[in-house]
Amino acid sequence: MKKRKFNFMWFSFYAFLLLIGASWYFVIGVEKASLTELFSNENMEYASKFFKGLLGVGEEEIAFLNQESWSDAFTLSIETLQMSIMAIGFSTIVMFLTVIPAARNVADGSMTLSKKWYRWFVFGLIRISYIFSRAIPELVWAMIVIFIFKPGILPGAIALALHNFGILGKLCAEVIEDTDSRPIRNLASSGANPAQILMYGVFPTVLPKFLTYILYRWEVIMRTTIVVGFVGAGGLGQQFKLSMSFFHYTEITLLLICYLILVFIADYISEKSRYFVK
Amino acid sequence: MSMFSFDLHKRKILTVFLLLLFVWSLLGVKWQDGVIHASGVGTASEIFMAMFTPELSANILALAFESSWITLAYATAGMSLALVLGLVFGILASGVLATRKSSRTFLKGSFRGLLGFMRAIHELVWAWLFVASFGLSPYAAIFALAIPYGGILGRIFADMINDVPNEPIQALQAAGASKLQCLFYGYLPSVKNSMISYTMYRYECAIRSSAIMSFVGLGGLGYQIQLSLDDLNYDEVWTFMYFLTIIVVLIDGWSSLLRKRMAK
Repeated sequence: MKKRKFNFMWFSFYAFLLLIGASWYFVIGVEKASLTELFSNENMEYASKFFKGLLGVGEEEIAFLNQESWSDAFTLSIETLQMSIMAIGFSTIVMFLTVIPAARNVADGSMTLSKKWYRWFVFGLIRISYIFSRAIPELVWAMIVIFIFKPGILPGAIALALHNFGILGKLCAEVIEDTDSRPIRNLASSGANPAQILMYGVFPTVLPKFLTYILYRWEVIMRTTIVVGFVGAGGLGQQFKLSMSFFHYTEITLLLICYLILVFIADYISEKSRYFVK
Repeated sequence: MSMFSFDLHKRKILTVFLLLLFVWSLLGVKWQDGVIHASGVGTASEIFMAMFTPELSANILALAFESSWITLAYATAGMSLALVLGLVFGILASGVLATRKSSRTFLKGSFRGLLGFMRAIHELVWAWLFVASFGLSPYAAIFALAIPYGGILGRIFADMINDVPNEPIQALQAAGASKLQCLFYGYLPSVKNSMISYTMYRYECAIRSSAIMSFVGLGGLGYQIQLSLDDLNYDEVWTFMYFLTIIVVLIDGWSSLLRKRMAK
């Protein structure tokens, strides 16, 4: 056994080196990307112009010194906040609806002491949906969802929820798999029905852990809200893209400041509550 | 302190508070104007049905393989840079190299702040900034991936190093090891496995991020998905989405195998 472990680790190590080498070869050798060209005088001029634009050097209207723009940006920030909460709410609801049959120890009946033939089938189906949901990035979901819903924060929240329920589901199903099954079997053998097992056996043990994961995903969602906005799903991101297309660079600075503030607030809340739950 | 020590009513208050937050967020939508496009339901069912009939013609498959490779290559190149950034900044931010208490506080504070800034901005926003300032180049995608991922890796690595139990390090110090020797023979060996598993997890995320880099005009699976969506060619969209799923599942499988082997 020891020899095999050794081999697999080294195999992985060399496979990685090979992948990294091949990737850089592809980027530099095949795509002919050159670093020196990136820092050519012409590009440096563009870059300095762009950054001067962001700082509002030589501009007449500077958005981040303008009170009206700040209040507009504030409204957008609140919208973005609502979008993130809605997204985590949706994915939490879907996660709760699906997580129980998605746990391996529920599927094989060891948790509730009852075997049903269809359990493995439901388990597989939900797990496949989880894998699929998390493999597709939020932005791609947003591009699809925007075909169906009118622009606004709802499609953004749905796209974010579509990506995150798979991640939440997987994490939370693993929490259920790791719970001690003895108290629950005790409940089952004393005649509790599935709903009672859930309410008195499973939920009290797993909810704190669920909450940490939910907060952690909320923090990630906050950071991604700006991205789904790019395709017209509302909030700061949508305005960001509009300002970018109109070359209103000082507005971009303002929006980035608001975005950073939101992200840091989310970071802070989730960090603090993690200590709290510990 | 555990959530169990919460009194029952306090937990109820927390639940009600979270529910109220959710309801408040729902108020942000203008439900009365209708939220679905006039043809939205039809489009939705069309997209859904296309799921079962992905386009599998030879040239689309060839295109899918090529774009998968581009996505994978950008992700790997970006990740290799991020790993270097994360290791260097992570070790500095953990403060284990500092000799005095004051310099340790300074190191920790400044590098943690820098890492926080790197990861606060989403990779796509970085990509956009790079493309806007330097123009289209694969480096824009690679740097845009490397910066936020380096920030996340660095922060987690620093946390891991700080969580190493003190005794083995003290033993090394008592034997006369320098700070650098403590790092290489004490800290790094004890966190190596967790570092590898976390990096693998982030690698999987990097694949997804690399796929959406197309949004700023850089090639890959996301670009193809976008093109097919613009043509309303949903069958092709699903082909590319399945390819993306397969890559992610493969990386995920690899990392869980690796984790199992390391645990033994």
